[in-house]
Amino acid sequence: MVTPLDVIKKKRAEAVGRIIGRGYLATKRVYVGMATCEIAAGSKEVMEVFNEAITKDGLTDVYLSQKGCAGRCNLEPTVEVIEQGKNPVRYGKINREKAAQIIERHLKNGEVIEEWIID
Amino acid sequence: MVSENIITICDGTGCIQKGSDKLQAAFEKEIAAKGLGDTAKINLSGCLGMCDKGPVVVVNPGYTIYGNVAEDDVTEIVESHVINGNPIAKLAIQEDHLFNRFFRVFGDAKFFGKQMRIALRNCGIIDPENIDDYLSVRGYEALAKVLTNMSPQDVIDQVKKSGIRGRGGAGFPTGLKWQFTADQNSDEKYVICNADEGDPGAFMDRSAIEGDPHTILEGMALAGYAIGAKHGIIYIRAEYPLAIERLEKAIEAARASNLLGKNILGSDFYFDIEIRLGAGAFVCGEETALIRSIEGKRGMPRPRPPYPSVSGLFEKPTLINNVETWANIPVIILDSGDWFSTVGTEKSKGTKVFALAGKVVNTGLIEVPMGTTLRQIIYDIGGGVPDNKQIKAVQTGGPSGGCLPVEYLDTPVDYESLAEAGSIMGSGGMIVLDETSCMVDIAKFFLEFTQNESCGKCTPCREGTKRMYEILTRITEGKGQLGDIKKLERLGNMIKKASLCGLGQSAPNPVLSTIANFRQEYEEHINDKKCRAGVCVELLIYQVTDKCVGCGACKRVCPVNAISGAKKEQHSIDTDVCVKCGACMDTCKFDAIIRV
Ligand SMILES: Cc1cc2nc3c(=O)[nH]c(=O)nc-3n(C[C@H](O)[C@H](O)[C@H](O)COP(=O)(O)O)c2cc1C
Repeated sequence: MVTPLDVIKKKRAEAVGRIIGRGYLATKRVYVGMATCEIAAGSKEVMEVFNEAITKDGLTDVYLSQKGCAGRCNLEPTVEVIEQGKNPVRYGKINREKAAQIIERHLKNGEVIEEWIID
Repeated sequence: MVSENIITICDGTGCIQKGSDKLQAAFEKEIAAKGLGDTAKINLSGCLGMCDKGPVVVVNPGYTIYGNVAEDDVTEIVESHVINGNPIAKLAIQEDHLFNRFFRVFGDAKFFGKQMRIALRNCGIIDPENIDDYLSVRGYEALAKVLTNMSPQDVIDQVKKSGIRGRGGAGFPTGLKWQFTADQNSDEKYVICNADEGDPGAFMDRSAIEGDPHTILEGMALAGYAIGAKHGIIYIRAEYPLAIERLEKAIEAARASNLLGKNILGSDFYFDIEIRLGAGAFVCGEETALIRSIEGKRGMPRPRPPYPSVSGLFEKPTLINNVETWANIPVIILDSGDWFSTVGTEKSKGTKVFALAGKVVNTGLIEVPMGTTLRQIIYDIGGGVPDNKQIKAVQTGGPSGGCLPVEYLDTPVDYESLAEAGSIMGSGGMIVLDETSCMVDIAKFFLEFTQNESCGKCTPCREGTKRMYEILTRITEGKGQLGDIKKLERLGNMIKKASLCGLGQSAPNPVLSTIANFRQEYEEHINDKKCRAGVCVELLIYQVTDKCVGCGACKRVCPVNAISGAKKEQHSIDTDVCVKCGACMDTCKFDAIIRV
């Protein structure tokens, strides 16, 4: 008999499959905070910059996702760059210009921008 | 700096008892000896929830958890794992608690490492608008688990075992409430999520919903199964449009995935959820008023008993819990009530979310194990008070709570300790106040709020809060009278005793607690007409000092001609005429005007 646990495990496998299909295994995963507080601090524009880099400027090997608020109110908007096998990099107070720099310096050239890191 | 390797040592009480403090020294020594310097960082975390396997050490990247670590193991961990990148299988333990995921991404930052995220475990980790993300972190597995092999009573027993108490303010044992509602014989029952969140400055519930809406739905469905209810309602204020939108999306996605609605996951369990919007009245967060509001009536409280568990929505048995309470439920089912009860203190289990605000370096949303002290929260997580100012007090519990002075900083946050100290846990507001905060003004701020939000049904609350507010206003305006403090105390205690609902019963708390702990400030306002924090404008006096050269600049900007004096001679201000606008002080080039 198929139990609800069997069903949920199948659903989870399918969900993970879809997430991977959207590029989750890319070298770098970028998460942009998109809660009310983050949006008020300007995160929609930041998201736009990353989005355009992927859809218009052909940035590849990056998985972009939104996320809820992690709690760093005074440092929003926040952006995380997570690379397999490395420690996550968390940036705070990101705006349009800084987002563009993260793309150029961190995502394309692998440079971690120390000044903007949240500790 | 992002270090290549981060060694996190659990600094929770359980691990300290087992010697984790010695490990820190051992790791530091080893790292120095091997000359690793900048590439390896040692980090102390709050409780990691694995006390039985302590001391626990986590090495990142890779998130390898080492349990029962002895000092003798330190050299091997550093050599094999940190230097050569080979995790040591025989020392590693497999622990898959739901909350650990948050720690993977944020655990090495001081602000987050000292926290423990159970209710907010997915907030900031997953895409809240994509059900796939929730499913991938074991979402809805708790629901599948109970539908597969747990009876409704099993579910209630787990909630009871966990020891969790309501996070909406009152702290009533959740398992008992579930049992009462389950025990009612009725063909129709309801499950309600209270997302009204009316405390000024509170945003815990909003963030929880916006970051992880599905966990609320799953928690409610679990309750539906446990108590025998088919309908769930989320009551949320219309001022939270994004949270509402995310809930709507989540409900739709859950229905489409057969996680809500008919025959959930192939079982014969039916449960569905609707959203009801509130107009944002504070009193509508009170459960009986909330129920009236859902029914389409005016949101006014009624006396209890009967409690909603007996007669609630449409007079049917109704289970109502707070957002944060709901967010804990899937964890209790998957990680077990026994595990949950290992977190926290004897009478307060699990964690509590706080909105940390006010005069503190790191403001934000935090979640800590019950029993963490106010000092740890403000200094270890909050980073202390900015600008080298002195901390004066901590306000917890919002308009229903109280102000604790510095002597109470070592109070652990749990329901009993905070109440004993003279405040309350409340729903999670925490405001740090420093020497620039006036305690009378703070009390007045909260009372103005409750007085405005009083629904007017019962006289003590309607009239009493108004009178208290008038007295406070005159004190802050320098018109306080002898006996005002006594009057406030008498009125306050009367309102607490005689009011119909929790709003009035708790509204005097900010005033009574500031009188108890900062009586001197009240006396200064009334007797000396002085506000030491410089907040109460009407009590300030502007004076000209002998630095004055008599240039006349202040005289020209004064809008009420309160300044007089001959040219090149020291001027003076007529305090009876002065309106305390401060224009003279701003204009003076010689710093000759002071405010006392
Ligand atoms: C004036 C007043 C306002 C309240 N506002 C809220 C609220 O915004 N959210 C909430 O969950 N509980 C609020 N409560 C508490 C609820 O009445 C109720 O105790 C709670 O929703 C029960 O859930 P819990 O056991 O999970 O805490 C309020 C109570 C009073 C008296």
